[in-house]
Amino acid sequence: MTYRVAMDIGGTFTDVVAYDETRGTFDAAKTPTTPGDLAEGVFSSLGRAVDDPADISFFVHGTTQGLNALLERKGARVLLLASAGLRDVYQIARGNRDRMFDLHYRKPVPLVDRYATAEAGGRFDSRGTELVPLDEDAVRAAARRARDEGVDAVAVALLFSYVNPAHEVRAGEILAEELGDDVMIVLSHQVAREWREYERTSSAVLEAYTGPVVRRYLGRIEDRFAAHGLTVPVQVMLSSGGVVNASFARRHPLQTLLSGPVGGTMGGVAASALLARPNAICVDMGGTSFDVSLVLGGRPNVSNEGAADGFPVLMPLVDLHTIGAGGGSLAYAEAGGLRVGPESAGAVPGPACYGRGGTQATVTDANTVLGRVDPDWFAGGHMTLDTAAAHRAVAELADTLGLDPIELAGGICDVANAKMAQAIRTLTVEHGLEPREFVLLAFGGAGPMHAVEIARELGIEEVVVPRFPGAFSAWGMLGTEVRRDLTLQFFTPGADLDGAAMADALAGLQAEGFEALAEQGVPAARHRIEHAVDMRYEGQDYTLTVPLSGPAEPAAGGFLTSVAERFARLHERRYGHATPEAPVEFVALRTTALGGLPELAAVPYAAAAGEAPEAIVKPVVFGGAAHDTPVLRREHLAPGQHIPGPAVIVEATSTTVVPPDATVTVDDNGFLVIKLGGVA
Amino acid sequence: MTSTAQVAVDPITPVAVDPVTTEIIRCALLQAAEDMNTTLIRSSYTPTIYEAKDCAVALLDRDHHVLGQSSGLPIFLGNLEECTRATEQMYGAGIWRPGDVWVLNDSYIGGTHLNDVTVYAPIFVDAELVGFAASRAHWIDMGSKDPGGSMDSTTIHQEGLRMGPLKIYENGEPCELVHDLISRQVRFPYPTLGDMRAQVACARTGARRLAEIVGRWGLETVLAARDAIFAQTERLERQEISAIPDGVYEATGHLDNDGIDLGTPLHVTVRVTIDGDRMTMDVTDCADQATGPVNCGAAQTVAACRVGYKLLVSGEVPLNGGSFKPLDVLTRPGTMLAAVEPAACQYYYSHLGLVIDLVVEALAPAVPDRAAAASYGDSMIVQFTGTDPRSGKLFVSQEATVGGWGAWETSDGESCLINNVNGSLRDMPVEVLETLFPVRVEEYAIRPDSAGAGRTRGGNGVVRQYRFAADQQLSLWWERSVTPAWGVFGGTAGAAPRVTLNPGRDSERSLLKINALTVREGDVLRCESGGGGGFGPAGERAAEAVAEDVRQGLLTAAHVAAVYGA
Repeated sequence: MTYRVAMDIGGTFTDVVAYDETRGTFDAAKTPTTPGDLAEGVFSSLGRAVDDPADISFFVHGTTQGLNALLERKGARVLLLASAGLRDVYQIARGNRDRMFDLHYRKPVPLVDRYATAEAGGRFDSRGTELVPLDEDAVRAAARRARDEGVDAVAVALLFSYVNPAHEVRAGEILAEELGDDVMIVLSHQVAREWREYERTSSAVLEAYTGPVVRRYLGRIEDRFAAHGLTVPVQVMLSSGGVVNASFARRHPLQTLLSGPVGGTMGGVAASALLARPNAICVDMGGTSFDVSLVLGGRPNVSNEGAADGFPVLMPLVDLHTIGAGGGSLAYAEAGGLRVGPESAGAVPGPACYGRGGTQATVTDANTVLGRVDPDWFAGGHMTLDTAAAHRAVAELADTLGLDPIELAGGICDVANAKMAQAIRTLTVEHGLEPREFVLLAFGGAGPMHAVEIARELGIEEVVVPRFPGAFSAWGMLGTEVRRDLTLQFFTPGADLDGAAMADALAGLQAEGFEALAEQGVPAARHRIEHAVDMRYEGQDYTLTVPLSGPAEPAAGGFLTSVAERFARLHERRYGHATPEAPVEFVALRTTALGGLPELAAVPYAAAAGEAPEAIVKPVVFGGAAHDTPVLRREHLAPGQHIPGPAVIVEATSTTVVPPDATVTVDDNGFLVIKLGGVA
Repeated sequence: MTSTAQVAVDPITPVAVDPVTTEIIRCALLQAAEDMNTTLIRSSYTPTIYEAKDCAVALLDRDHHVLGQSSGLPIFLGNLEECTRATEQMYGAGIWRPGDVWVLNDSYIGGTHLNDVTVYAPIFVDAELVGFAASRAHWIDMGSKDPGGSMDSTTIHQEGLRMGPLKIYENGEPCELVHDLISRQVRFPYPTLGDMRAQVACARTGARRLAEIVGRWGLETVLAARDAIFAQTERLERQEISAIPDGVYEATGHLDNDGIDLGTPLHVTVRVTIDGDRMTMDVTDCADQATGPVNCGAAQTVAACRVGYKLLVSGEVPLNGGSFKPLDVLTRPGTMLAAVEPAACQYYYSHLGLVIDLVVEALAPAVPDRAAAASYGDSMIVQFTGTDPRSGKLFVSQEATVGGWGAWETSDGESCLINNVNGSLRDMPVEVLETLFPVRVEEYAIRPDSAGAGRTRGGNGVVRQYRFAADQQLSLWWERSVTPAWGVFGGTAGAAPRVTLNPGRDSERSLLKINALTVREGDVLRCESGGGGGFGPAGERAAEAVAEDVRQGLLTAAHVAAVYGA
């Protein structure tokens, strides 16, 4: 008997999903996170999921160690080494602001202050020709400072290192000589081999700031596994949606920064394949936040850069959009009008119905008033809700606005749903797609409660609630692949393109990618590789990533014409217009090496054994009127079963609300497939 | 002249609309404007739009009231409707036809320079005009006598292609002759027409969204919700003004000069009257329209006053047709703040940044917790043009320079931050700049001691030092040396800006404004922007804060000894 186990370690709970390779079945468990010693928590959670940890054949987990260190500003002490004359690049942070009507704007406080930034002479021009040799004495002086001041990590970010890394490499050698293994040394070109010195410096500083924390954590986990005699490699989820083993992650810790919530999107990728719906909107709604991500053509929507707590990072990451809406969003009156969110009651005091002192109405209170949550079995029975407090809070606001409380409760949900739907529409519109081309996948504690109404706003006809909606991120991690993303700056106007040189560069990236897969134990038969090039029209700054047929394509005749045509088509689709005759530029090459894991051979889902308890029927408000609505336990629903709305389907960590004009079918995967408008 | 800020909202329509529907419609209109903005930013060609956000969008009702606006460039606040209104005044309400798209960039209508082009389209539902979708974006070149715009123009006729209301699409089809005309006038036709198409796509997005909203709820309900939304906004703003003590508040500042007559500063006085729940901003006491390009149309002065108002009064309140109703702006035609033909308008924004800072200074005694000392003030433009010897191609590099912002009651001002009128412009990365243009950046650093002193100090300015790698032309537009960022409540002013060509050499020369000066390979240009003003007396600054500034190298020991007496 062997198991594949995935674990999503959140701030409060750790979700575990185990796949039994012998029987082809899944199981999920939820345990409290142990912030004091996460490594211990991991091990005890494993014990909950499988009888004997020695039976584990594959283990992957998402960790928020690096992100927490960043959010709580508990990362490493870092010394930054910059090019002479440019030490303030990191402090200036490109000088922009993102709030237009704020006289009191301050930039995010940098992770390394000005005092802790040293300079070293040395300069390349933009083509990588050395103008001034590296000042090695200055590097040694910085090393001495690092030792004297007891820093944990040194980030080296020198100008033009993406073209010619020689100075960074040499600086790294000197620092390693002087400082030994105790101090982590980060070279910016190894973190992000792309231009733009601030963004590259920021990426290197983030790696130096979070890296030591992530390394220590991974070391403890591996020690713990070894101590228990486990030989299964520890795999870690990456921000890009792939997985890598711990030894790789220790060398590239930054790539694990956003590894937790990404599992949900990867679950969306797996679910979209099972459903044969290549475009999916993944909606993860919890107590205070609402995360949306897209699956496009069966792939996660991955950006080549992003931001972490206000600091830019140049690395591939799954595009997750957080919207300030959740069960805790506050409803209030302003100048005689109704507002819902983005302010949230948070976890404390939380919604009025939590009975923790909250008195303002929230979305969860509105759902409670409407009868859409089971007050006696909230959060899988972990909590009971104070229905009276919810009614009081909603009634008070209703009085202010001159509305009937039930009408207002419906209205609060309607406004929240409309806002979430509008935010989703903007995301799909950015990709030149209309929402109705997607299936809506809803998960998280509150996602399935609102999903049908959000879909209705968007003109989407089908909503799917997958299995384990409360632990979906962990489920998603089981279906991922080993992934290594490689980038090389390759700036050239189209007219000057040397196709052979581009093909050579891609061949180099390909070799590097295969090597990374082999190193992680992926057999050559399961290696896949994808190549693409970032392009733009001359004068543009943003690029579009255009897929290539293979590494040799640029060397073939007619490449420029063919790739320019593909770029124009992509431009037309994404932006609604193109200028086919305008000159193009190439900016960077991108290679992704993917190593498939053996496929899961899950058996069709079956309902829980034993007879289903008789459904409780209670009044639930839809469209302003109470309907007698059965409350069903999900584990007793059998594949193929049709349930006409209205219905409320409860399970350990989530509640699905089905309005009167919708119908649910349980499919072979155990997913709830909801058709809107009464279509069966 | 009283501004056009006052627009009558229709009397409440008889259709009743509940607060829930009103709020859903309000959010839908805001989101429609956001979708327009997303379309524009994502499809534009040039960094001025997608990065500097030198653009704005608005969804208007058929009476030219703002239904939804996204926050683009602050100084484009609430004057896109001037374009649809002017078109209707010229040609009558019958001019609007489905499928038409219009363009306009006349400075005396839109208020800004010719580079700011407004594209707008009427929106029809069932053959009935229901509103307009409009966007304004900065086109990189309009065919002015110098590339990108001149620092020394003296009439608008030197500043490039000037368009009154003009159709660029008719019945859904492009007006090819007009496109051809534009493409022959501007220096960079591909990106320019690309940006124009992005604006057309933006208008279409707005039209689609508004049609969906009207289709779903019906026009009567949408109009009733509109009235309720406008009334909410107006009520919120009147509440905020009522909380400010009544009185007349005043501040005066200067532009260095008009770029032609370098010895004559140009003054502006802002007089703000608070009377109950109404506010008046009077800028009639200002210099007459100047020979150089520092003039703007009145519409833009109204917008700048609204920015100052929004910074102090209604920061969180969303923009719509109910906004600014308690505000009157008084301008005097023939001044540089209400220019008439043929005044040159290329640098229409330098005095607008000044007006915004003066509104804040004037009202500081009334709202000390919301105010701040002055910022370094202007965009501090550095422009290089020439032929790149590496490629043999013409190039134009134009950069704005960051600087220090003013301190406020509870915090030091920010260092090295882009100026107020520049949206969210990011600086040009050295690696990109050196790749694209024959120039090197030798230093990019915080300028120590440039911060104005105070209990809380201003932010520091920046040093950016270039070395030219080829002969080329240099143009500069640097401002605010006559009245550098002043302090408030006893804080001192930040250091003035300083630009030096070939520092330390025999050929050393100080400059602030210059048009197309030839510089040689190896010449060095050192640009130092100003710091922000301080807040409160310097003697009250905490000793630890002063010591930390010295440790961080933000202030030198000598400066601290002289200014903080430590």
